[in-house]
Parts: sequence; C-alpha cells; structure tokens
Amino acid sequence: MTIAQQVKTTLASLKSAQANLESFALATQNKQAKQVYTQAAQTTQSVVDQLQQRVGQLEKEEPTYKGF
Amino acid sequence: MPEWVHIIIRTLISFCAMFVFARLIGKRQLSQITFFEYIVGIAIGDMASIIPDELDSPLYHGLLPMAVYTILPIALSWVALKSKSARDFLEGHARVLIRDGKILEDNLKKERMSTDELLEHLRSKNVFKVADVEFALMESNGTVNVLLKSEQQPLTPKRMGWQVPPEVEPQAVIMDGEIMDEALATIGFNRAWLKAELDKQGVAVENVFLAQVDATGQLYIDVYEDKLKIPEPQTMPLTNIALKKAQADLESFALATNDARAKRMYTEAAKRIQQVIDQVGPYLTR
Repeated sequence: MTIAQQVKTTLASLKSAQANLESFALATQNKQAKQVYTQAAQTTQSVVDQLQQRVGQLEKEEPTYKGF
Repeated sequence: MPEWVHIIIRTLISFCAMFVFARLIGKRQLSQITFFEYIVGIAIGDMASIIPDELDSPLYHGLLPMAVYTILPIALSWVALKSKSARDFLEGHARVLIRDGKILEDNLKKERMSTDELLEHLRSKNVFKVADVEFALMESNGTVNVLLKSEQQPLTPKRMGWQVPPEVEPQAVIMDGEIMDEALATIGFNRAWLKAELDKQGVAVENVFLAQVDATGQLYIDVYEDKLKIPEPQTMPLTNIALKKAQADLESFALATNDARAKRMYTEAAKRIQQVIDQVGPYLTR
C-alpha cells in the first residue's frame, strides 16, 4: 500500500469515528457527556479536514492513485 | 360484660393507642439516637401493657402517661432543634477517642471504655491497626466512627486525578417482555428507537426479560433463554479503538514523510487526536 492509500484508510476510519461521536452526542441526555462528545467530534472534524487536504496534495503528486 | 370481652377491648384500645403514639413520635425513635430515646420507647410500651393488665383502674390511667411520654420527647426534640446548647445537653455530643493518630486515654476513661473495647470497635469498622487511624470518635448513640489516614483511604478517581463521566441512574425499559413507555420517555427515547436497537442485536421484544438503558443510550439486554449469547454493545469501544489507531497512524505518517510541512501537520493532528482520546476515552470505555 502506498502512503497515499494508507492516509486514505486512516482518513476513512477517522471519518467514521467522527460520525460515531456525533451520534453519541445526539443519543445522550446528559449535558456534560453531550458537550464532551460534541467537542471531540469538532476536534476530530478539524483533523479530518487537514487530512483531506493532505490527500489532495498526495493525489497531485501521485496521480496514479487518484480516487482510491 | 364478661371479663374476657373486657380484656380484649382494653387490649385493642392499648394497641391502637400505641400505634397512634408511635406514629406521632415518628421515625426518629426508630433510629434511637441516644440511650434516653431508647428507654422512652420501652417506657411507652410498658405503660401500654398496664391498660389490659389492670382491669379495675380506669382507661386514662394508662393512656394519659403514654400521651405525656409521647409529647415530651417531641417537645424536647423541638427545643433541641432550635438551640445548640439545649441540643448538647439533651442529646450529648460525640467524644473524640483518637486524634492525630494518638489515643486520648482521658476520653476513653470518661466513656469507661477499655483498650479491648476500643480495638473491637475499630475492628468492626474493618480497622485492625491503630496506626491506620487518623481520627476516631464515639457518637452519642455509642457507635464509633473512624477516619483513616489519607494514605490508607480507598483509592478514588479523584485522588488519581482521573476524569470520569457523571453517573446517571439507568432506566429499565423492558420488563418481562413489556415495554415501559414511561421509563423510555424519562430517558428521552421512544419505541421506534428501542425497536431499532433490539433489531441491531437481533432480539424480539417478547424474548427480553429485562432491558436497561444508561444515560449514554447504551442498551443492555437479558433474555429468557440463558444459553443465548447476545453480543454486548460495541460501537463505543470500537470508536475508542478507531481513534487510537488513527492517532498511531498519524504519528507513523509524521515519521515517514520527508515534507517538513506535512510532518508538522501530521504531528499536530496526532496531538489533537490524542487530546480527543484523553477527553472522550473515559466515556467510551465504561
């Protein structure tokens, strides 16, 4: 697996974790827990965005693997 | 009126009177904070027994002292409630037996307590070494309470500096195969959600003996068939693991890349995910 593919895999699992955190935030009735989940989801989202950019760069560098 | 009817009537009256007076005195008598309260209870019972016992004396000979014995403790506890000095006089105060880890022999003597008795009291509090005790006192009802030295106290998350999520009482949403709508509403869910959760675990409502939802929305199920294995809810631990794996991946990307900017980005991202894990981990792994 090239680095680009590895980064994409990590990106995918981070996205899923982020979605899970958001769904936990929705499911819980406890205010404190809701806040912790929401904050965690936001931070994770920012990392997801960064990784997304990096994946764009990598795809420019190695056009062969575009779309994987 | 034959004598036995007389006895039965009087017994019934004394029984009812005792019930009424006991209700008036209330719960406090039950806990018997002091020796005095304890004997007051016995005295009332004794007077009640006079009523059916002495057939020649009029009824009020038994009822009146009972009433006085009921009103007095109520009045005294009112006085004690209002004034601290009256409280100290009426209820006595606790006596310190051990302070700063040192046994106060004078106070032991005042309570007429021997060394063996002190050790016995400590042992009943699961303390076998006097060296472990920081502070101990005898309450006015005779029980000995013990404060352990801080290094001997049980470990709590606070002492360890751990952040733990607040505990919220779980709700039983299915009992004997029936959905409890009220409990479901209390915790903020509905039947549709419950159906979906049950489908996820592949269980029909009729087969569920007990289902509990905690505040995070995790559903725990017990079915009638004890041999049936139901997978425990996995989304939370799996999310925790996914975050940990992503964090480790980011760190290895940071090591692998030669691009200085990308390296910085990966390192920073790994740090932030680590923050998320520290924050949310306790909520995901309980």
